Amino acid sequence: MDLNQVSYHYPQQPTLLSNISAKIPTGGILSIIGPNGAGKSTLLKLMAGIIQPSAGEVLLDGRSIATIPRKQLATKIAVVSQQNDIFDDMKVIDVVKTGRLAHHNLLATIADDEVANYIHATHLDLLAQRPLSSLSGGQRQRVWLASALAQDPEYLLLDEPTTYLDIHYQAELMAILKQLNEQKHISIIMVLHDINQAFKISHQLWLVKQGRLIKTGRPAECYDRQLLASIFETNIQIVDVPNYGKYIVEIPDDEKKII
Amino acid sequence: MTKSEKIWYSIILVMLVVTILFAMMVGASFISPHQMMTAFQGGNPNQLDILVNIRFPRILAAMLCGGMLAVAGAASQAAFRNVLADPSILGVTSASDFFIMIGALLLPAFPGNKFILSILGGLFALFLLTRGPALRSPYRLIIIGVAMMLTFTGFEQLFANGFGTQTTGSFNGITWSETEALLFLGVSGMIAAVIVSPWANYLKLSTEQLQTKGVSATVMRMTLLLVVVYLSSGVSSVVGTVPFMGIVVPNVVRYLVGRDYQTIIPLSMLLGAWLLLVVDTLGRIVVLPSELSAAVIMTVIGGPFLILMLQRKNFNGLKSS
Repeated sequence: MDLNQVSYHYPQQPTLLSNISAKIPTGGILSIIGPNGAGKSTLLKLMAGIIQPSAGEVLLDGRSIATIPRKQLATKIAVVSQQNDIFDDMKVIDVVKTGRLAHHNLLATIADDEVANYIHATHLDLLAQRPLSSLSGGQRQRVWLASALAQDPEYLLLDEPTTYLDIHYQAELMAILKQLNEQKHISIIMVLHDINQAFKISHQLWLVKQGRLIKTGRPAECYDRQLLASIFETNIQIVDVPNYGKYIVEIPDDEKKII
Repeated sequence: MTKSEKIWYSIILVMLVVTILFAMMVGASFISPHQMMTAFQGGNPNQLDILVNIRFPRILAAMLCGGMLAVAGAASQAAFRNVLADPSILGVTSASDFFIMIGALLLPAFPGNKFILSILGGLFALFLLTRGPALRSPYRLIIIGVAMMLTFTGFEQLFANGFGTQTTGSFNGITWSETEALLFLGVSGMIAAVIVSPWANYLKLSTEQLQTKGVSATVMRMTLLLVVVYLSSGVSSVVGTVPFMGIVVPNVVRYLVGRDYQTIIPLSMLLGAWLLLVVDTLGRIVVLPSELSAAVIMTVIGGPFLILMLQRKNFNGLKSS
């Protein structure tokens, strides 16, 4: 996937993303980080084809995704978005089955067996027959992940998948994603709020600020105090934590005085 | 099919059969099961005529209309993502009634076509409902719908004053040819609804979610709404408006068997058939020798049902889970 001079703005609104060009390496984990309002989620929506760039194009295998039929695109790119409310209620297995729609005609009945693998990969075996409304936030996130995986995509896009999850579920989700990347060779692109999580799991990082792509590189290349400080507009320290490695801490100005 | 679904299908079918038998027996003259047997064996031509040409078409018509309206309600709830959506509350049926009346005034010789006028009215109402922000705001949808219902009803009354009144929503005097029309419209429309019932489930996901899964919410929503208009216009063109069926029945079914439209739609069909048959049969016998129309009785049942449903503390039918 390639971004070719992509810009985006809502009608009659200032520019949200300007002139972003970058190549997304296949088979890796890419995390997009940056402060709130930097345009990270918009960037992800552009890559998913949910919205179309105001200028430039998003290319998939050399072809603009705007020209790829929606159904075909759904077999290449799957999305786990931040807003995952449904109206009414549905059984977990039925939500997962909606991921198979791109592989069938719209009136087909999808067999339980067809989604068994995805349910197993996301540890939902015991929850498959439960209504979605009875699940916790972390469990629901796994249901949407299973439904996205059921699309059999080459690229899996996730918008802040760990927000609202406690540490246990965060770690569990990251472990599942890592496994999918390593074993099924799915390219993962995600917006992450937690920068240490992003540095730890990713093969590549994109640092975004005010609609611009400031830096792309391997995590090792991005442990740059001044760069991170300028992106997040706060003082940054990089410390070494035993059994973990480098850890990024932000120290606001006034607190520094206290210390 | 789950165990509770099987149980409810059986219970409702038994209730339906019992009610059909009862409805065949009662009326201006009582005909016992024994007399019925005699009549069918050719022993009593008068009673046979009452059974075959008066009671049976009426029973069949009431059941068909009940099924059609309940299915139309369930399908419109899925399409609008709103458990209060129903062709009568949203003004779809009153638009149909109004168009039928205007058609009768302006085009008295227009060949046969209450049904076409009724469809046009329904589509016009849907056109108003599906454009603008009504789809995104559940309460606004209902308020706009109610306002449209009152507007069309008002216009209808305005014109009706100069035109002689017509009673609507009653099965009194229904003929075999009208019942045959209902049979064709009802069976075709309800089969279509059962076929597209998986879409009613998919529409629980947001438009954006469906987009990323490669399917168009708009296509599914519009198809369901066409089925809604087809079914409700079918009823409007033959018997007029019977309100609240589309709200009461699917919500009771939801309470009984859960949230899967592939069960809600067929079970609503059966329960709707039963309820309207009960209502019509009661209307025939409570004020003998006169009658109460099914529409009046449904208003009396449906209004309080809706109020109770909305006043329940845990009512969250308009919110997402």
